[in-house]
Amino acid sequence: MGSEEDMHDANDVQSVEDDFYTGETGMGSEDDDYNFGDNYSDDSEDVTSHRQQQNYTILSEADIRQHQGENINRVSTVLSIPRYAACILLRHYNWSISRVHDEWFADEEHVRKAVGLLERTVELSNARELTCGICFENYPCGRMSSASCGHPFCGACWRGYISTSVSDGPGCLMLRCPDPSCGAAVGQNMIDVLTTSEDKEKYSRYLLRSYVEDNRKIKWCPAPGCEFAVEFVIGSGSYDVCCSCSYSFCWNCAEEAHRPVDCATVAKWILKNSAESENMNWILANSKPCPKCKRPIEKNQGCMHITCTPPCKFEFCWLCLGPWSEHGERTGGFYACNRYEAAKQEGAYDESERRREMAKNSLERYTHYYERWATNQSSRQKALADLHSMQTEKLEKLSDTQSQPESQLKFIIEAWLQIVECRRVLKWTYAYGFYLPEHEHAKRQFFEYLQGEAESGLERLHQCAEKELQVYLDAEGPMADFNDFRTKLAGLTSVTKNYFENLVRALETGLKDVGTSNNQATCSKGSSSKSLGNKSKSGKIKAVAGSSSGSGAPSRSFDDGNLWSCDRCTYANPRSTTTCQMCEHHK
Amino acid sequence: MTSSSAASRKALSKIACNRLQKELVEWQVNPPAGFKHKVTDNLQRWVIEVIGAPGTLYANEKYQLQVDFPEHYPMEAPQVIFLHPAPLHPHIYSNGHICLDILYDSWSPAMTVSSVCISILSMLSSSTAKQRPPDNDRYVRNCRNGRSPKETRWWFHDDKV
Repeated sequence: MGSEEDMHDANDVQSVEDDFYTGETGMGSEDDDYNFGDNYSDDSEDVTSHRQQQNYTILSEADIRQHQGENINRVSTVLSIPRYAACILLRHYNWSISRVHDEWFADEEHVRKAVGLLERTVELSNARELTCGICFENYPCGRMSSASCGHPFCGACWRGYISTSVSDGPGCLMLRCPDPSCGAAVGQNMIDVLTTSEDKEKYSRYLLRSYVEDNRKIKWCPAPGCEFAVEFVIGSGSYDVCCSCSYSFCWNCAEEAHRPVDCATVAKWILKNSAESENMNWILANSKPCPKCKRPIEKNQGCMHITCTPPCKFEFCWLCLGPWSEHGERTGGFYACNRYEAAKQEGAYDESERRREMAKNSLERYTHYYERWATNQSSRQKALADLHSMQTEKLEKLSDTQSQPESQLKFIIEAWLQIVECRRVLKWTYAYGFYLPEHEHAKRQFFEYLQGEAESGLERLHQCAEKELQVYLDAEGPMADFNDFRTKLAGLTSVTKNYFENLVRALETGLKDVGTSNNQATCSKGSSSKSLGNKSKSGKIKAVAGSSSGSGAPSRSFDDGNLWSCDRCTYANPRSTTTCQMCEHHK
Repeated sequence: MTSSSAASRKALSKIACNRLQKELVEWQVNPPAGFKHKVTDNLQRWVIEVIGAPGTLYANEKYQLQVDFPEHYPMEAPQVIFLHPAPLHPHIYSNGHICLDILYDSWSPAMTVSSVCISILSMLSSSTAKQRPPDNDRYVRNCRNGRSPKETRWWFHDDKV
């Protein structure tokens, strides 16, 4: 077997796949793809997609059919061939109009042969009676049909032939004349005339799916039950897309959205998780013994500040199991539970460290990151549920108790949306951290600094939205300090947003600002600090990373007189400033 | 060996009966060279004698093909196997299963028993070595419970032999 068409198809798929996974690089060929002619660019955008600077379009089933129909019409017009033939050609060339045009005008004969479009149509013989090539019965020629090759088959046999092919799967889109010596294509025009409405419907379903599944620019939304597809402008930057069903996913790898971490890291991480952690999963993410009374505690809230049930009532940090009261002091005024190095140095892993061998060491390191990844994942799930209950019931209740119009309570929803998004980003930064090479000390330090800042900001925000809000929900009537609460939560929301934007930007530029600040010899690259861009933030962060890398100590070294820590958001500001660069709070 | 699976098969549809009767008549009028149909009253199972073509490795050797027809023949392919002993051939397993694309994926309802027979004879004739397929033992072990070759996912390695 292995006819030439099959080989050709296989190669097509291969080359498409190659392009998919090269990411942002190597998009040159894609540009060529668009150059066929201005009138025939492959981007059949509809008007609705122009509303914002989005690099993707959500397509409903109706949109898909419309785009598909327009593409078929376009090819049919340009090549002066029937619509069914244009459809066969487009499917063969993965719905790329420019490829159809290129191949057709380069070697029409070859293309025709490959897809079974005969140059000259052979009419059915006009003999009075013809013999069907399948059942061998004789029928008057009016009851026979044939593809463009003229091989006659009767209606019942066509129905059976098409039905068998349709129930075999999407291969029916490449149907050929039943005669084994003949490769003439059987297009949708014949399907529509010759088969039952049920098979017609199935065929048209396969044709719709093909437009998405064989098209290198369109993919189905991977959310269960979702029927939207997403058309992506390849080479246009971030792959994170948000479907109309509200599911966010990475268009490139179809995993959930994972910006700023790249697809390869995510794939490695997911593979590692499936291999190492099936049972570790639930136990680690959901239960721990209270560090004081040792009763097992299941984490059922989002933030990391845990209070054991009475009579113990011990308050501790879920991540490091240290007393919560020491957070912020013992850790040098900063949240430091994100750092593996810190935990190790503090002696938290000391005992095991000495006893266990190298292999165990790596498992432990993995556990550290996995635990934080999984915990943020479940925190996010919890936050999503909280957001939902806020939208559906609690906001209304709060509006009643605090005598506030719901429109004035939007800041709460915004806070929760921010929490959900931040938990997602934070989760993936732990996969990033796991794969960040150990020997890149400066990068690690810079990364952990940014991650720690972001995480501690998020913890404050999450705690405020979860626990402090509860007081106002439970109150009998309006409370005087509700406006203060509003200011605080809204402030935390915007501060946290800034921290995360900072973190995302730094990871997306590969933490390269560290390299330039630590290595004076490469000062020609100094201009790259623009990439962090706004205000003077980037310069200052570089200074921090540089100053601490010299000591090699994992603890933060901002209390060195050159910096002051903001009371509200803990951001480390240069001594020369009087207002916080992050939240604009006065010193 | 395969009688159990054949016995459990559904009876031929009316379309299948009509078509097979026509094929039988055509066969009697115009039998393919080198084949002899052993007449029985069972339209659903044909047993056909094959004689190796002169000047080939199988010259004058006699083998028997068993052809079982499914309910929806010819929309579905017939099951074709060699009865014991099967010829030694790189595409024919010792249990009689034949690795030939037109019997599976490439079947077309416009093919006939006669055209299948001719393809099989041509496959025999072009063989240059009398040997079993390299994976014969493994394959035959996997088919022990009378599994039909139509349930195998065939990989058609080679279109020369």
